[in-house]
Amino acid sequence: MAKPSEAIDDNSLAQPISRRLRVDLIGQRLALVVAVVGIWWLSSLKVPHYILPGPTRVWDALRLIVANGDLWNNLAITLWRVTVGFVVAALVGLPLGIVLGANKRAGEFFEPVIPVLNTVSSAIWAIFAIIWFGISNATTIFVVFMTAMPLIITNVWQGTRTVNADFIELAQVLRMPQRKVMTKIYLPTILPYFFSGARLAFGFSWRVSLVAETIGSSSGVGYRLRQAADLIRTDQVFAWTLTLVVMMATIEMGMMKPLENYLFRWKKDAETQ
Amino acid sequence: MNHIELTEQSRNDTTVQMPPAIRLSGVGKSFANGSQRIEVLKDINLIVPPQSIVGLIGVSGSGKSTLLNIISGILKPDRGQVCICGAASEEFNEWASVSYVFQDDRLLPWRTAIRNVEFALESGSITKQERAQRALQALRLVELESFKDAFPYQLSGGMRSRVALARSLVTEPRILLMDEPFSRLDAQTRGLMHEELLRIYQLKRMTVVFVTHDVAEAVLLADQVAVMSPRPGTVREVVNIAPARPRDITQPEVTSYMQQLRALI
Repeated sequence: MAKPSEAIDDNSLAQPISRRLRVDLIGQRLALVVAVVGIWWLSSLKVPHYILPGPTRVWDALRLIVANGDLWNNLAITLWRVTVGFVVAALVGLPLGIVLGANKRAGEFFEPVIPVLNTVSSAIWAIFAIIWFGISNATTIFVVFMTAMPLIITNVWQGTRTVNADFIELAQVLRMPQRKVMTKIYLPTILPYFFSGARLAFGFSWRVSLVAETIGSSSGVGYRLRQAADLIRTDQVFAWTLTLVVMMATIEMGMMKPLENYLFRWKKDAETQ
Repeated sequence: MNHIELTEQSRNDTTVQMPPAIRLSGVGKSFANGSQRIEVLKDINLIVPPQSIVGLIGVSGSGKSTLLNIISGILKPDRGQVCICGAASEEFNEWASVSYVFQDDRLLPWRTAIRNVEFALESGSITKQERAQRALQALRLVELESFKDAFPYQLSGGMRSRVALARSLVTEPRILLMDEPFSRLDAQTRGLMHEELLRIYQLKRMTVVFVTHDVAEAVLLADQVAVMSPRPGTVREVVNIAPARPRDITQPEVTSYMQQLRALI
């Protein structure tokens, strides 16, 4: 018989290797940041500051919006809109995706709707939203919802197609009621698909929320960006952009990735094999 | 008639009087294939004595697996009757009394070993605590207690088979149905699983019906081997395998049984 510890040993062996790789990676990333900032600084020396502000000028602008509370207020508002739109999209998209995947006729009937929804630009949704909701929170939330929902539906729908018929048979042999088959077999199978769809949708949500806020809002990061651009405060545009990038990276690496690693720890890690 | 013969006689009598674990009478099954119907099973009559091990053997397409699915209640027969401990299989409410072991292990990849074993108890209304406790006992039975928190991908093929076996035993079944249970394992691991199965059988004394295409496996494990004819499948002959277990493939008696079965298939 194969040694019981065999597979587990493989994993523990892989650990130090991945740690060494990680140290390498951090070094590479730092070098990249230094290079980018360096090029940025050199370029800004020869260009007027309203075209390309230098790193120090942007840093000052950033300190200003932190000090007067602008940054946190607007980030909070934007984050709140994105979260509401995204959560509603997930709550609608998950069951709808399951129904469309589980019910063949419904799936066939509605199949063309998703690509059509996906091709409609977020800017068009923003224009519709202004017509319907005016300058309000609902405008941004609606745009986020309309962008995120089709992505989540598509992924969940794909997930339902991968449900293993053998596991369904196992549940039938065990006389498991249909409701439990849904929660104990369908849901865990779909979850990775839902999650990757949700991650994608969350990234899109951020981007489109800014579009929506520039034209349909009187607060939020998108609104501030447009205001700064109108006043030709390019340093502030840079400051807002940097903030957004840092925030998105934090959410992605600090929340989404660890959550995914925990939820899907049962998956064989392709990189360590 | 001397004393020993008398006791032998009376023991036989009690065996006859005990109701069979499974009785199949006149079971037939056909499947639709396009416009025509294919008769897979025809007039199957089989009695499985309680606490015995019965092997079903035959060429592929003889309906062995179909027959097992009918016994388990997954499939309904077109004709005939299936009796399990006196109850018709489609209405036995004691879902726990029959367990099924699949060809593959069918472990849910997102569950740890112990949670996979617990899965078999989740149809009913057993409390979470009791489920965990019974699952742990079942894992202990297959000697995998220390791997209870391992995910399937971390286990070897033999270990996965043992977890699947634990999952089918955790419901304390009176009847264990196995569809070519160890056919996907390498020869050495399969041999170990045979020992494992016989050890658990000695402890639990359940009725075992298994399908195999391996004559050696049938002779090593079974009290009786039912030989099925090619489609439409019928039980051609039931051979009693006399030697006491554990048996060895090198025993002349065992090899002669194997030859007999090969000739019958």
